[in-house]
Amino acid sequence: MSWRTHAYHALLWLIVLVFFAPVGWIILCSFKTQAQILAVPPLLVFRPTLENYVHVLSEPSIVLGLVNSLVLSISSVVIAVGVSFLAAFSFSRFKPRGTDFLMFLLLSIRMLPGSAAILPVYLMYVAFGWKDSYPAMILFYAMFSIPFSVWILKGFIDGVSTRFDETGLVSGAGWLGIMTRLIFPQVLPGIVAALIFNFIFVWNEFLFDYVIGGPATANIPTVLATGLYKGGSTDWTFVSTLTTIYIIPPVVIVYVFQRYLLVGMTFGTVRGEV
Amino acid sequence: MSDASTLPRAGGAGVTRRLGEALASRRLLPTLLLMPVLVFFLIWNTIPTLWLLGLSFYRYSLTSGRPPIFAGTYNFISLLEDSEVWFGLSRTFLFVICAVGIETLLGLLLGLLFWNSQRLPGRRLALTLLFSPMVLTPVAAGTFWKLIYDPTFGILNNVLHGLGLGRIDFLGNAHIAFAAVLAVDVWMWTPFMVLMTLAALASVPKAELEAAAIDRLGFFQRLRLVILHHGKFILMLGILLRTIDCFKTMDLIYDMTFGGPGNTTELIALTLYRRAFQVFNMGWSSSLAVVLLLISIAFTATFIFVLHSRDRNAPAGGDAP
Repeated sequence: MSWRTHAYHALLWLIVLVFFAPVGWIILCSFKTQAQILAVPPLLVFRPTLENYVHVLSEPSIVLGLVNSLVLSISSVVIAVGVSFLAAFSFSRFKPRGTDFLMFLLLSIRMLPGSAAILPVYLMYVAFGWKDSYPAMILFYAMFSIPFSVWILKGFIDGVSTRFDETGLVSGAGWLGIMTRLIFPQVLPGIVAALIFNFIFVWNEFLFDYVIGGPATANIPTVLATGLYKGGSTDWTFVSTLTTIYIIPPVVIVYVFQRYLLVGMTFGTVRGEV
Repeated sequence: MSDASTLPRAGGAGVTRRLGEALASRRLLPTLLLMPVLVFFLIWNTIPTLWLLGLSFYRYSLTSGRPPIFAGTYNFISLLEDSEVWFGLSRTFLFVICAVGIETLLGLLLGLLFWNSQRLPGRRLALTLLFSPMVLTPVAAGTFWKLIYDPTFGILNNVLHGLGLGRIDFLGNAHIAFAAVLAVDVWMWTPFMVLMTLAALASVPKAELEAAAIDRLGFFQRLRLVILHHGKFILMLGILLRTIDCFKTMDLIYDMTFGGPGNTTELIALTLYRRAFQVFNMGWSSSLAVVLLLISIAFTATFIFVLHSRDRNAPAGGDAP
């Protein structure tokens, strides 16, 4: 390779590292003591310690937060993608009256600022006594994940030629058979994309959990936002360690499923790979 | 791609098939398939939204303990007269315009730079690291940037100090805090516009680029006539998605500034949060939420309009899977 290619590649990596630097700094700080984090000037070379991880992972409220994050995001996303596949199939193949309008309404839910979206749900949950309960949280997050799932899956099912349906019908399969055995395998990438990106959204979500959740259902963003202050100052070891643990699943997902990133970040409206 | 081997075997799952046929023949199936989503929609969206609409016409505070009192358009009028609302809205629009503008330009620039990166060593890892700010929990990002910005302990100020510049209290200075928060948003979401630019570039037909090269078009002519011509829909969708998302910004500032210092970083989502969940003035907050709902619907309509205009212009789709 010519030196120009090398220089070009070096420039690209430099840009990457500039964007990664703050995340890298968080990770670095998670191996420091509070005193080392607050050292002036900041330390780049230090004796790393794993004490923060031991400390954070032995804190019951944090372990509960991690479990909550996992339970809430996985169960709600699985429910959402399941029901969304059925709806997307119906929208794509039967085009019932009002399809466009419903698709529009579904999308507009996700376009609303969080505090406006959660306000009426909060009132409803308070009135019904549903606050801080697992099923209520999971079902709310499922609702939150449905718009995206329907949009992404409808896009994928639209992309499967109706000739497959015809072939299926001719060879004697019913619509359910066509849906589960013909269409499902072909839109598997869409299912995966819907699952993992809704997972990331719910995983990182703070406001909804904070408002309609409570001590029993607090996820890690809520723990982070509310458990920062000990004796008037922020416990930075806690923030950096917990953030480092928490960013691992999304980053692994971005690495492993990189080809779904585009479709995942655009509601399935743009497909392709980068 | 599936072939005949994945077809259901005749005779297999006969019950399912008969049920399916029965459903299809009665035209029940389309509705039945929609039912679960419709139920979700009814319970978690329609009912709450109607509740919200209704409540926006009432005076109702959770702290007073009194039942809601019908007040007609009182809330909406007081909303119009509320300087905090106007301030929050104008701050939010300023924030959206600045953030999306910078992210789009920077994203375009970096996206063009990354265009020929197919042979970059460790490309997959590089892109993962580049996109890592996007998947960082906004609350955590906001919190940690407080440390980075800290006047005494923060690395940024120590770098400035090392360069012989004075220390700046980024988040405590009313003149700088807005720009400081903006910078964090730009850091988090420029990678998204890079992603969209790469998608837009991928949708440009190779043949036209080669033709442009043969015609010896300059870089800016190529950008305008070839790249933007083909990529503009994807870019528009990216800009719109970012605009909508930026309009919702709340988690990021919740811990970083909580609207401060003063109210310089007070975005509208936070204004609503304060009134609803700190003051518990539910009637008034509902009317503000209704206004935001209308704004979101306008955004959504624009988004869908652009989406459909793409489909009309390019039915085959340059971005087919």
